[in-house]
Amino acid sequence: MAVDVPYAADAEVSLSFDELQVLRTQYEREVAQSHVTTQTKFNFAWGLVKSPVREHQVEGVRILQDIYRSEPARRRECLYYIALGYYKMGNYEDAKNFNGLLLDKEPANLQAQSLGTLIEQGVSREGYIGMALAGGAAAIGTLLVATLVRRAARK
Amino acid sequence: MTPRIMAHATTVSSRPRAAVTAGTRHRVDFATLGRTPLRLGLGSRRITSRELEIVEAADELLTVEIPDTPTAAGSDGEGGGPPSLLRGFQATIPSADKGRTRRRQTRNVEAPRMGMKRMSMGARGLMVEDAGAEGEGESEEDVVVVGKRGERERGKRGRKKRGRESLSAQKVFGREELERQTSEIKRDKENLHVRRSLIHNDIAEITHKIEALDIIRTKLEEDLLKLHEDDLELDDELEMVRERLELEESRTRGTKGSKGAAQVPPHLPPSRRRKGPAFLPSEHDELPPGMAFMTLECGSSPIAALDFSEPYGTLVTATQDDAQPRVWDLLSGEEIGRLRGHTGAVKAVQVEDAVCLTGSADGTVRVWDLRRVDAEADEWEHGMVHLSDVIEEAEEGEGEGEGVVVDASVAGSGAVRQGASKEEEDGPCVRVLEGHSKAVTAMYFEDETLVTGASDKTLRQWDLNTGQCVMTMDILWALSHPPSVPPGGALPGHLFSGAAAAAGAFAVPTPPYADGSWEMYQDFVGAVQFWGYALVSGSGDGAVRMWDMRTGQAHRTLLGHTGPVTCLQFDEIHVVSGSLDKSIRIWDLRTGGIFETVKYDHAVTSLQFDSRKIVSAAGENGVKVYNRTSMQHSTLLTNGHTKPVEKLSYMDRYLVSGARDAMVKIWAL
Repeated sequence: MAVDVPYAADAEVSLSFDELQVLRTQYEREVAQSHVTTQTKFNFAWGLVKSPVREHQVEGVRILQDIYRSEPARRRECLYYIALGYYKMGNYEDAKNFNGLLLDKEPANLQAQSLGTLIEQGVSREGYIGMALAGGAAAIGTLLVATLVRRAARK
Repeated sequence: MTPRIMAHATTVSSRPRAAVTAGTRHRVDFATLGRTPLRLGLGSRRITSRELEIVEAADELLTVEIPDTPTAAGSDGEGGGPPSLLRGFQATIPSADKGRTRRRQTRNVEAPRMGMKRMSMGARGLMVEDAGAEGEGESEEDVVVVGKRGERERGKRGRKKRGRESLSAQKVFGREELERQTSEIKRDKENLHVRRSLIHNDIAEITHKIEALDIIRTKLEEDLLKLHEDDLELDDELEMVRERLELEESRTRGTKGSKGAAQVPPHLPPSRRRKGPAFLPSEHDELPPGMAFMTLECGSSPIAALDFSEPYGTLVTATQDDAQPRVWDLLSGEEIGRLRGHTGAVKAVQVEDAVCLTGSADGTVRVWDLRRVDAEADEWEHGMVHLSDVIEEAEEGEGEGEGVVVDASVAGSGAVRQGASKEEEDGPCVRVLEGHSKAVTAMYFEDETLVTGASDKTLRQWDLNTGQCVMTMDILWALSHPPSVPPGGALPGHLFSGAAAAAGAFAVPTPPYADGSWEMYQDFVGAVQFWGYALVSGSGDGAVRMWDMRTGQAHRTLLGHTGPVTCLQFDEIHVVSGSLDKSIRIWDLRTGGIFETVKYDHAVTSLQFDSRKIVSAAGENGVKVYNRTSMQHSTLLTNGHTKPVEKLSYMDRYLVSGARDAMVKIWAL
């Protein structure tokens, strides 16, 4: 029942440009033949997701969504990869949703669990930034209000 | 700006509670806020359409069902489901081959460059080009490593003179390297395994797809056939509608000069034999196809001939050994009356509008006005005893004189009848045509011309206005003086019973029907039809002859049937004939060649065709329908006959069939 997926750390390691190029040519060749095997699609998508360029990640997630849509047998694995892709892109909400689905199916999956924690960390990080911003904005706001009040009081 | 304002608004409202527990809601809010700097262009990033696409798709995909995967058997994935995607990835990426190339290079021996490639290419006669990029995925580091080692190896040995030692003896690998190589090889083998199973899965998938596509293709081909049929149907309709247009135009033009004389047989419109679309009551569409919805009982002996004027109009049926055909109203299914006058069994009937022609075994052809059948029925009912009917007919039999005399049988009924003076107008029989010496077995009339075929082996052409025989065509003469034989055509000697035909009486036993019965077939002329001055006849010698009615000569004989021709029809392109030899042949009208032969299990006694189908009576209880576009046979059996079908006739979607059980059944096609 358990799917064989890599830890999220594997996604941080990107392929070399040449390798990615090779995968890309393979993918495009099969597209030209109008019969793309799932493995080629996955290879290319995974290579894209691993890269640090955001556009690549977006493209990779799109291809993974394609696989998800067209191959019911592969859906469970794709859940993980799509979640990973979203995590790298920064869409924590979507990542959480997909990962949540996977955990529903396989509560014991270690990689899914670790990805879950990573997503939570990312969300909280953003939250801290948000709080800091809000705090800063509040401080500036109070200062402005105070200046106005003082001016008004003086007059 | 909106997210920021919104976030700000929410933070304002939730600030008092901010210090308290940070629930998920807050975190999300702050997270949204935290994201805004990124969004607002810390590093001017455009939101591409792709991103929107995946974001939108994500919601949709989340709701899609995920089937349970079958339990995968361990990591090799052979017994269980297909190997996982990641496994496949590891097996198929170009760097998977890295280990192998590296190992191969470790085994490469540093020999002085001999230019083997050039040598081999030269030996094969190929042009030597500069070596291009060889293989994929050779990463640089490996090459450098081995090369260094190789060099180092050589360096160690120094200038030792190298005798003729084998290449392998020089290399020393070391234990670690060898172990590494073994594990690499094992992994590579697994990869190969994985790739094999991937390919197997792909092949299976493709096979499924091909099957599905094949199914789709056959369906599409069937649809094509259906469209073709519809096309032909529409063509027919168009033609008929055009004819009708002309007809109606000519009628409005000719209203002034119309002949309305009661004595002359009603002016016939141009033949509506090949007619369609017919005007049917709206309920006809609701009738289930392929099922007989009306049955008429017509006596006790097998039906010999039938014809109707139009769907839901008037039907005239004649049975064997019965000299009085019955007239039916197809709307109600009631018998209107009978046509009294013949002295011999009626063998051929044709009805056009309100005019009916019958040919009988007594050698005469009578013309009837079907509108008068009602009147006759009424008057007959008024106190006529049946006995006098019998006497009536006996008197007729004797009193049948020469020449063209209007039948006075009805008039001569005695006291009741006052209209004795109105000889010519009384009764449905309008005219009697005499001339044949033996039974009239086939006939066809159109407009004012009638052609009859009889057992005296002649064909006669009549003018219906005057009632005179215009021409006589002798088949026997045509038999013994065949037209010039076309090159490659069959010789007259092939005729199966040419000799018998020339002899006196013609009688051939029919092959048994489906119920085993058979009889002696004695009609020398099985069927005739003409158009303009082209006449086609089917006769007992198995030949279909084409005559020119202006000269009275048969200019072409179509040979092929090995039994008497019983039924025949032609249109602009084809002649279709059925015969006792259990086959229907479709001939080309212009060249005389055979298009198609359709074989049946029993003798064919009646047929009618159009561009899409041939409906035939082939000695079985069911009416056979042959679809010409799809070449499929089908049978009309539901609520059908209990004995073999003898005769049939159809118009558009209304079929009338008569069988040996003396029943006439109406079908919706």
